[in-house]
Amino acid sequence: MTVLSIFEHMLWPALASIGFAVLFNVPHRTLIVILGMGAVCGLTKYVTMEFGMHVITASFLAAIVVGFLSISAAQNKLSPMYVFAIPSIISMIPGAFSYRTMLGLIQLTQDLNPDQYVEVLHNVTSNGLNAVFVLLSISVGVSIPMLLTRHESAREIVALVKRNP
Amino acid sequence: MEKSIHKDQVERFGSILLEIGSLLMSYGANSMRIRVTLNRIAKAFGYNLELLITHRALMLHIDDKDDQHSFNQLKRTSPHGVNFRLVSGISNMSWRIVSEKWSLDEIEKEIERLKSLPHYPRIIILLLVSLADLSFCRLFGGGMIEMSIAFGATFVGLFVRQEAVKKTFNPYICIFFASLASSLISGLAVKFNLGDHPEYAFATSVLYLIPGVPLVNSFSDIIDGNIMNGIVRGMHGMVIVLSIALGLALSLLIYQI
Repeated sequence: MTVLSIFEHMLWPALASIGFAVLFNVPHRTLIVILGMGAVCGLTKYVTMEFGMHVITASFLAAIVVGFLSISAAQNKLSPMYVFAIPSIISMIPGAFSYRTMLGLIQLTQDLNPDQYVEVLHNVTSNGLNAVFVLLSISVGVSIPMLLTRHESAREIVALVKRNP
Repeated sequence: MEKSIHKDQVERFGSILLEIGSLLMSYGANSMRIRVTLNRIAKAFGYNLELLITHRALMLHIDDKDDQHSFNQLKRTSPHGVNFRLVSGISNMSWRIVSEKWSLDEIEKEIERLKSLPHYPRIIILLLVSLADLSFCRLFGGGMIEMSIAFGATFVGLFVRQEAVKKTFNPYICIFFASLASSLISGLAVKFNLGDHPEYAFATSVLYLIPGVPLVNSFSDIIDGNIMNGIVRGMHGMVIVLSIALGLALSLLIYQI
């Protein structure tokens, strides 16, 4: 874990977030916040994984961090929470797992001897399950703040916190 | 006489609510968000609102508190891309309707304004999304060569998709075209073995098509208990994933990788 690798794991997710933010046509005022949240998301995932956490748990933690950050972002920049949350977590989309799953599935349809078949099937199952669970943990993680506070909008959550400090 | 004015008012208000709801549905809000926003506006005007939300149609019933007038209508929602600027604008509008006691005219004017808000310039979208895919490639572990290939493949693929959308092809076919175009370009790298891990460029060159919003909305709908909508959105996301995979598979077949 060097300074350079930490920097890289903040820079690239942040750039990915901005790309998707523009694709989703977010308001101008939110772009800079999404850049920062993408970086924090990448950092959280990288550091937790460096400490030996599994990719599913690490993604879950990073998504929770993004979820909480998006509450205050929504309050300050006057946009719904998921305008910030969805572009920020997009860099954690399990692209590698899904790609390997797809390649494996294509291989499974071809003529394989039983040993090869078992090996490919093993890869497909493992990669496919990882992809599904990472996706699940991201979506659940992002909505954790809303689930815990039982409110649907950032303004209500902030109002709740202010009432009961 | 006064009664009929009031009836017109209810009908007009109902149509505005339906318009707002269908805009939210078309541009990527989840079901809970639609329900909350419409309820907030209806409450500000003192109406009771009952709502049936499905992926392609909205059904709405409003009545005023003393049950004098009611309004029922069904509206088709057309599928569009994601547009968070509009969704965010509508959310802000709903709060201001409550706090500033807007009239129906003001709401209609604001909806028109929000609908005419510009997108980012096309070249900016193309460049930034390509940059995002370059970043994905780097996160996978690709080097400079793979990153530039991913950049180029995304640029062309997204351009193809935008053109296909303009020509109003089926949305899934648009994604298939884009995936095919991107993977045909990045597949060249694999075919001619450019760089250390050309397959990284191949795998990441289609990631900009990933249905992030439908899948996240699908899970959040299911968690909120809108299970039908969640399943429909999930299925929509899965078909997009399938279209991407189909494009990739066709490139694999063409290049015999």
